[in-house]
Amino acid sequence: MDGVDGTDRQEGKQDGPTPSLLFIILDTNPHAWALLQNTLPFSKAIANILVFINAHLAVNNANQVAVIASHSQRSVWLYPRPPSDPQHGDDSDTGMDDENKTDTSNLSDASKYRPFALIENSLLHSLRKLIKTTTEADIKATTSTQMAGALTMALSYINKATIAFLDTGAAAKPTPTALDSSDKAVGLQSRILVVSVSGDLAYQYIPIMNSTFAAQRLRVPMDILKLAGDTVFLQQAAFTTRAVYLQLKNLQGVLQYLMMAFLPDQLARKHLVVPTQEVVDFRAACFCHRSVVDVGFVCSICLSIFCTPPEGAICLTCETQLALGDYGNKPAVIPKKKKKKKRALDGGSSRATPAPEAA
Amino acid sequence: MSDSDGEYQASDDGANPNEELATGTTTKTGKQRAAWEGVQRSWAAVLDSAGDGSIDSMVQTLRESKQRKRLMKDTTPLQRGIIRHLVLILDMSFAMVEKDMRPTRQLLTIRYASEFITEYFEQNPISQLAIIGLRDGVAEMISVMGGNSTDHIEKLKLQRGKEAAGAPSLQNGLEMSRAQLFHTPAHGTREVLIIYGALLTSDPGDMHKTIEMLKKDKIRVSIVGLAAQVAICAELCKKTNHGDDKNYSVATDDHHFRELFMKLTTPPITRTKEQSQASLLSMGFPSRISGAGQTMSFCVCHNKLCSGGYLCSRCQSKVCSLPSECPVCGLTLILSTHLARSYHHLFPLQNWAAVSWKDAVRSVACYACQSPFLKLSKAKEKETEIEGMVKIVESKIVSESGRYACPVCRKHFCIDCDVFAHEVLHNCAGCQSDTRGLADESVEFAA
Repeated sequence: MDGVDGTDRQEGKQDGPTPSLLFIILDTNPHAWALLQNTLPFSKAIANILVFINAHLAVNNANQVAVIASHSQRSVWLYPRPPSDPQHGDDSDTGMDDENKTDTSNLSDASKYRPFALIENSLLHSLRKLIKTTTEADIKATTSTQMAGALTMALSYINKATIAFLDTGAAAKPTPTALDSSDKAVGLQSRILVVSVSGDLAYQYIPIMNSTFAAQRLRVPMDILKLAGDTVFLQQAAFTTRAVYLQLKNLQGVLQYLMMAFLPDQLARKHLVVPTQEVVDFRAACFCHRSVVDVGFVCSICLSIFCTPPEGAICLTCETQLALGDYGNKPAVIPKKKKKKKRALDGGSSRATPAPEAA
Repeated sequence: MSDSDGEYQASDDGANPNEELATGTTTKTGKQRAAWEGVQRSWAAVLDSAGDGSIDSMVQTLRESKQRKRLMKDTTPLQRGIIRHLVLILDMSFAMVEKDMRPTRQLLTIRYASEFITEYFEQNPISQLAIIGLRDGVAEMISVMGGNSTDHIEKLKLQRGKEAAGAPSLQNGLEMSRAQLFHTPAHGTREVLIIYGALLTSDPGDMHKTIEMLKKDKIRVSIVGLAAQVAICAELCKKTNHGDDKNYSVATDDHHFRELFMKLTTPPITRTKEQSQASLLSMGFPSRISGAGQTMSFCVCHNKLCSGGYLCSRCQSKVCSLPSECPVCGLTLILSTHLARSYHHLFPLQNWAAVSWKDAVRSVACYACQSPFLKLSKAKEKETEIEGMVKIVESKIVSESGRYACPVCRKHFCIDCDVFAHEVLHNCAGCQSDTRGLADESVEFAA
């Protein structure tokens, strides 16, 4: 019992700097990586990211890391590995065997710091398994990536890790609201790094935005490293969570960018000049023609955006009859002109009276 | 004696007495008991149901049941008034000096009110708010109708130094809020929220006439009482909410008070067509300019020098913060993210169901956070505890296996992820992260 008590206390008060949790979301969209084949092959990118992970772990003994792959149709844990699923007993057994084999070959290397070797092992093994289980049909089915799912899992994991770290007080406040966490900077410093290669994520708009706001409430910055493509939502997400958004022009220098821009955690960033975004595109796409609008029309019931008032003023999403207000009304007619017209009309009527006679 | 027995029974079921009492006593049949009479004897529940089992696990189960109770909401997507106009009326009469809530009712109300304001604008980014105080028989404007949360909170904080005194007047407060809500557009909601500590109101005229006027103006009134039920408050809420009496509640303690207060940050349900007229609003979506390396310029909203800002998409004048109305051309300026913030009210996440042991073997760890679940074999060792929990488990609120399943993707999650997903994230990790199986499963269901 005494021993247990002792360890608890050691964990409770941290002498060193506060540990940080780095959560990497790796976009493994096969289509996008195929396009990058000549400039930055996938294997090279992984090697660079592993160096970055090692650097993060070397900064502080208590630092943690987690990696998740956002694949074409699912998001998969790379590190830490999910506990084996009892339903697919055979599968996991072979997996364990494989791991054991690689374990013995790789981990026995005395010149390597053991945590580095462990992560490398697990990550590469999971990646191989992921690539092996991806069928051609899977790749053909979609050209996108499951970014929203990966973000959701990342935030759930961070939430749980934060609760576990605080432990006390977790019972009273399961969800740290903006007010609660404003004063205390202590506790686990978590951040998400999205290594993104895919372009359009339009159909995941709502879940991605939900995760962005959740990250903002947890005060978790969502750093974006864009290797290819351009996603407005991720740009907005980085801006909302006060994180770094970098679009690389020179892909060979990816490690340099990782080290310089993304290694410092939130506490360190306060003292650094971090890269900022020049212009953030906050314009919205209308629901009717998918065109980007500056001034739009919004349905007050379902908040759908339209570029022009929909036909018959009926909302296309919720089918409500909408009142148009003053929109489209002609400007007031100047009375002077009316008078002239009246005179003209009078003249006309005087002329018109004989008309029936003529008829 | 029989009275106390009945109450003992109630806490046995693991039901949270606050929950049912919050809805008011008028609907109850049989023994009439009011909210403030209920005392929750948490120790009795623990001793009775845990028996000789460990109290820790019992406390854990009780905590879970409390959390889950809060989550169990109606998830049918209802039409809600997303664009809100709310007047917050705070009682600042002699009754608020009482110290039954620490430090005093007055200070606690101000603290919770500032939390409420932050949360209100987080949940309803394109809404407006005003604050009125009831002191010395008159209604006092604390903060006029506006959409900036920091302005409201600053003005509210000034009230901390002022002593609560005199009698409150509900009628004066309501008439003033009617005046505030008079100019608000018809497509938004018109709401009044009253935090009322006193058990009386000293009014200059006929209160019932005011109620009729409120009804005519389509204003809905919600009241959180701090002491006891007051008949006029109940009538006021009922009449202005189409006969629904759920909007009047009395807080039993400070936790309950906060809970009731925060519940009102959710946009209200639209009941009738008259309550909100749907209309098409013209809005501008400006792009942000970061003034890095450029000369600073004045913003039109505060006349202050600042570097960054947003240019109005119609008249190109610079405003420094959004959402706001362009002071030059009157166009409502928002970011598309502000609209996205309200989407989760329109597409709520379904409640997750508790998983029985029979089904629990499918998973060993939470799908979202990978924390391991309790195994059945291990759980059987602790059978005594489980027997104790049965009473709470039977209510289908707490899962006996510690697993909760999403009805759509049927993945299992832990209680922490359940709470987090429903209160903060509004996403299901399972549904979002695996689209492979969907086609196959639909085939399975069809077959």
